[in-house]
Amino acid sequence: MISLIGFIGLLFSCIFSVSIVISFFNQNKKVYEKIFYYSVYLSAISILVSFLALILAFINSDFSNYTVFQNSHSSKPLLYKIAGTWGNHEGSMLLWLVIMLIYNCVFSFNKTLDISLKKLTILFQSSIYICFALFVIFTSNPFLVNSILVNEGLGLNPILQDPALAIHPPLLYLGYVGFSLILCLSLSGTLLNKIDKEWILTTKNWTLFCWSMLTGGIALGSYWAYYELGWGGWWFWDPVENVSLMPWIAGLALVHSLMMAKNEPLLKRWIVFLSILCFSLSIFGTFLVRSGILTSVHSFASDSSRGIFILILFLIITGFSFILFIFKSNESNTKLNLLFINKTSALVINNIVMIIACLTILLGTIYPIIIEVVSNKRISVGAPYFNSTALPILLPGFLLMSIAPALSWQNNKLPKFKYYLITFISMSTLTVIISWFSFFSIWGFIGLLLSFIIIAGSVLTIYINSTKFGYQNFLNYNNALIAHIGVGIMILGITCSSVFKSEYSLSILKNEEIKFDKYSVELIDIKILERDNFQELKAFLQINKDKKVMSLVNPSKRYYHVSKIITTEVGIYRNWFQDFYTVLGSENNKKWDIKIYTNPLVNLIWFGVLLMVFSGFVGILKNE
Amino acid sequence: MNKIILSIPIFIILIISIFLFIFLLQEKNPTKPPSALLNEELPKFSLVSLFDKTVTLSSLDVVNQITLINFFASWCAPCKVEHPLFFKIKKKYLNLFILGIDMQDTNKDAIEFLTTDGNPYDYVGVDEQGLVGVEFGVIGLPETFVVNKDGKIIYKYLGPLTDKIIEDEIEPLLQ
Amino acid sequence: MIVIFFCLVAKASVESDLKNITSKLRCMTCQNQTIYSSDADFSKNIKKIVEEKLKNNESEKEIINYLIERYGEYIVFEPQMNIGNLFLWFFPFTILALCLVFFIFRIKKN
Repeated sequence: MISLIGFIGLLFSCIFSVSIVISFFNQNKKVYEKIFYYSVYLSAISILVSFLALILAFINSDFSNYTVFQNSHSSKPLLYKIAGTWGNHEGSMLLWLVIMLIYNCVFSFNKTLDISLKKLTILFQSSIYICFALFVIFTSNPFLVNSILVNEGLGLNPILQDPALAIHPPLLYLGYVGFSLILCLSLSGTLLNKIDKEWILTTKNWTLFCWSMLTGGIALGSYWAYYELGWGGWWFWDPVENVSLMPWIAGLALVHSLMMAKNEPLLKRWIVFLSILCFSLSIFGTFLVRSGILTSVHSFASDSSRGIFILILFLIITGFSFILFIFKSNESNTKLNLLFINKTSALVINNIVMIIACLTILLGTIYPIIIEVVSNKRISVGAPYFNSTALPILLPGFLLMSIAPALSWQNNKLPKFKYYLITFISMSTLTVIISWFSFFSIWGFIGLLLSFIIIAGSVLTIYINSTKFGYQNFLNYNNALIAHIGVGIMILGITCSSVFKSEYSLSILKNEEIKFDKYSVELIDIKILERDNFQELKAFLQINKDKKVMSLVNPSKRYYHVSKIITTEVGIYRNWFQDFYTVLGSENNKKWDIKIYTNPLVNLIWFGVLLMVFSGFVGILKNE
Repeated sequence: MNKIILSIPIFIILIISIFLFIFLLQEKNPTKPPSALLNEELPKFSLVSLFDKTVTLSSLDVVNQITLINFFASWCAPCKVEHPLFFKIKKKYLNLFILGIDMQDTNKDAIEFLTTDGNPYDYVGVDEQGLVGVEFGVIGLPETFVVNKDGKIIYKYLGPLTDKIIEDEIEPLLQ
Repeated sequence: MIVIFFCLVAKASVESDLKNITSKLRCMTCQNQTIYSSDADFSKNIKKIVEEKLKNNESEKEIINYLIERYGEYIVFEPQMNIGNLFLWFFPFTILALCLVFFIFRIKKN
C-alpha cells in the first residue's frame, strides 16, 4: 500500500512536470499561467509524498517492498532505517529527484529575476527532471513489489550504519544536483540574452549554496573515512571520491568567476561554460558510480543497462547544452583587463589552474577504462599520479590566494606592498627554521610555506582593511579572506598530518605500560561486551604523558550477528595539536598487537573546511 | 575560429562516451582484471604429486598438448561447486590434459576431497605455499587457465566455472 | 654482539622497505586498499613474498617488476612510465604550460 502511494507520487511528479512543459508552450492563454506555477508546486509535493512513502516503508520494515527487503533489517536502529532509504541505488536516485524539484519550487518564488528568464529556467529544469524521472521509473524503481514472502530483510552493511554517513548523501546531492538549476539558469540566460546584474546575483547565491553543501558533503565523507576505515587516511583518490571532487573544483572556479563578473562583463560566456561543465561532471560522476564500471568502497550494485541509460542522458543533456552554448552565446566586444598583476589576472590564473586540475583528475579517473578498451590490460591510476600532477598544478593558485583579495582591479599596484613582502619573508624564514628542527621533506616545506603565507597574507589584508574601513561590516569586506584563511588552515592540517605523522606498532600485555615518543600507553583492560546487534571486543587504553593521564581510548573489534561481519573500530583521542589514532590487532601469547598513529594538526583540516562553508553562507547572506 | 574552439568540449565528450559505451558493452567485471599472462609462455613450475611424493610434474612435461589448469583447494566452497563440470569436460575431450593444482591446502584434506567428490584431474600437484599460484598471477580460488599446444596461456577465468562459460568460452579453444 | 646489532638493523630496514613497497601495491581482492594496510589472505601472501625477496637483497624495482609481470600493472597504484601512459603523464603540465604562455602573451599585449 505504501509502495503504491510512493509509486503514484513518483508518476504524478513526472506528469506535473510534463504539464509545466505544456503550459510553457501555451503562454498566450491565461489559464496556462496558473497551471504552470501550480504544476511546479504540485510536482514538488508529489515527489515529496513519494519519498516520504519510501521512508515510511523503511521505518515500518515493510519487506513487501523489494528495495526495503534488499537494504534493511528490522533490528537496525531507527536512525539507520531512515538513512537506509537513501543508502542504496534506487532510494538515492529518488532523493536526487526530490532535490531537483525542491530547487525548482524554491526557485519559482524568486521575485527579482525577469519573468521570462525565470519561466525558461523552470522549463529546462523540469525537462531535465523528466529525463531522470523516466530513468528511475524504468530502471531504478524503488517501489517494486517483492515477489517472495519474507519475514526479514537482507540487512545493511554495519560499516554504513553511521551518523556521518547518514547525512553525507543528502548534503552531496544538495550540492551537485543543485548544479542542475545553475545549468538551467545559464541556458535560459544565454537563450534570452539576459545575463545581467540580477542574473549574476541570483546565480551567485544559488551557486554559493550548492557549493557550500557540496563542500560539507565531501568533508563529511572524508571525516567518516578517517575514523571508520582504520588506516588514518581520509582521501584515497578513489574514483568515487574523484567524481565528487571534480564538480567541486569546477564549482569553485564558477564561484570565483561569478564574483568577478561584476567588474569584467566579458566573463559571461565563461560563466555559462563553467555552469554546463559543473552539472555535466555531476551527471558523469553519477554514471561512473552507478554503471558498474568502477570498483570502489562505494559503488552501488549495478547494471550495465542503467549505465547505458545514464550515458545517453549525459550525452543528451550535455550535448544540448554545449550546442546551445556554441550557437547562441553572446559575443562581447570588450577585452579582459589583464595586467601583471591585478585582480583580473589573479582570477584568470585561478580559473586556469582549477580547470586543468579538474581535467587532470578526470583523465586519471577514466584512463584505466580507455586503456582496457584499447589493449585489454588493466592499469591503476592511483594516489601517486594525482599527488604528482593535480597538486603541483594547484600550487600557483594557492600562492596567489595570499594576496589576491588585496589586489586592485584597475592597476597592478598592491597597497602596502612592503608589509606583504616583510610578512612573506618572515614566513619563509619560519618555515626554514621549522624544517631545520624537525626533518626536511619537500612537500612538508611547500605545504607549511603555503599555509603560513596564505594565513599571514590574509590576516594582514584584514588588518589593512580595518584601518581603512573600521570594524563595521567586518564580514562584508573580509568574507573572501576568511575563506582563504580556512583554506590555509586546511593546508596546514593536511601537510602536518601527512608529512609529520608517526606510526608505532606495539605488542602489549594487560596492565603493561609501553613508552612511545614522548608518551606512554597502558592497556588497562580488554573485555568482551554484548550490545544490541553486535558483540564487541573492547580495549581500554590509557595514554599518558610525563606520568599524567592524557586520555582513555577504546579501539575495538565488533562482530555483527546478522550480517556476520567483523569490523575494526578505531579509538581516537583528539586534541588541537594532534590525534592519537589507535587500532586493535590480534592476540599473540596474551600480548595484544596495537597500532598507534599520531596525526599532528589533523583537526585543522576539518576546522578549515568549516570556515570555508561558513564563508560560503556569509557570501549568500551578505548580498541580501 | 572561435566556433571551432568552442566545439572542442563536445568532441572530447563524444570520444569519451564512445570509449565508455564500448567498455559497457563488453560487460567487463571490475573485480576480475584480465590476466597479465595472456599470450605469454607458461610459467616454469615443478609440482610434487598429491598422491605420491616421489612423482614430480614440471612445466616442460606439459608442452605440445592443450592443457586445462585448475587451481583449487579443499576449503574453497566455489571450487566444490564447479568440481563436477571437469568430469563433463574430461568425457568430451579425451585428449585434453587436465592439471589440478591444490593451493595452500593440506594433503590430507585434499585427498579426502578428491576421494569423496571424485578426481577428474590427470595430475594433481601440490602448491602448499602458493608460490606457483603467484607465478600464474592467481588472486583467489578457483582460477582456470587454458594453455595451447605452443605452451602459451590463451585463456584465464577467475571464479567458479559454469556450463555456459565452458560452452561459450573454453570449448572453442579446446578444438 | 655486533652481529646481533647488524641483524637488528637489517631487520629494521627490511621492515621499513617492506612498508614502503607494500604501500605502493594494490590488494587485488580488496576494494581500493594497499597491501600494507590490508589483512586479506592475498595481501598476507604478497607481504611474505616481498619480505623474502628483500632478504635476498632484491631491489625495489626488481620486486615490483616481478609482481607486474605476473599480476599486470593493475597491482601498482602508480601508472608506469611507458608509451601507453605517455599522454597521461604529459597532458597536465603541457596544457598548463600552453595556457600560461597564452596568458603571458595576452598580458604583454595590454
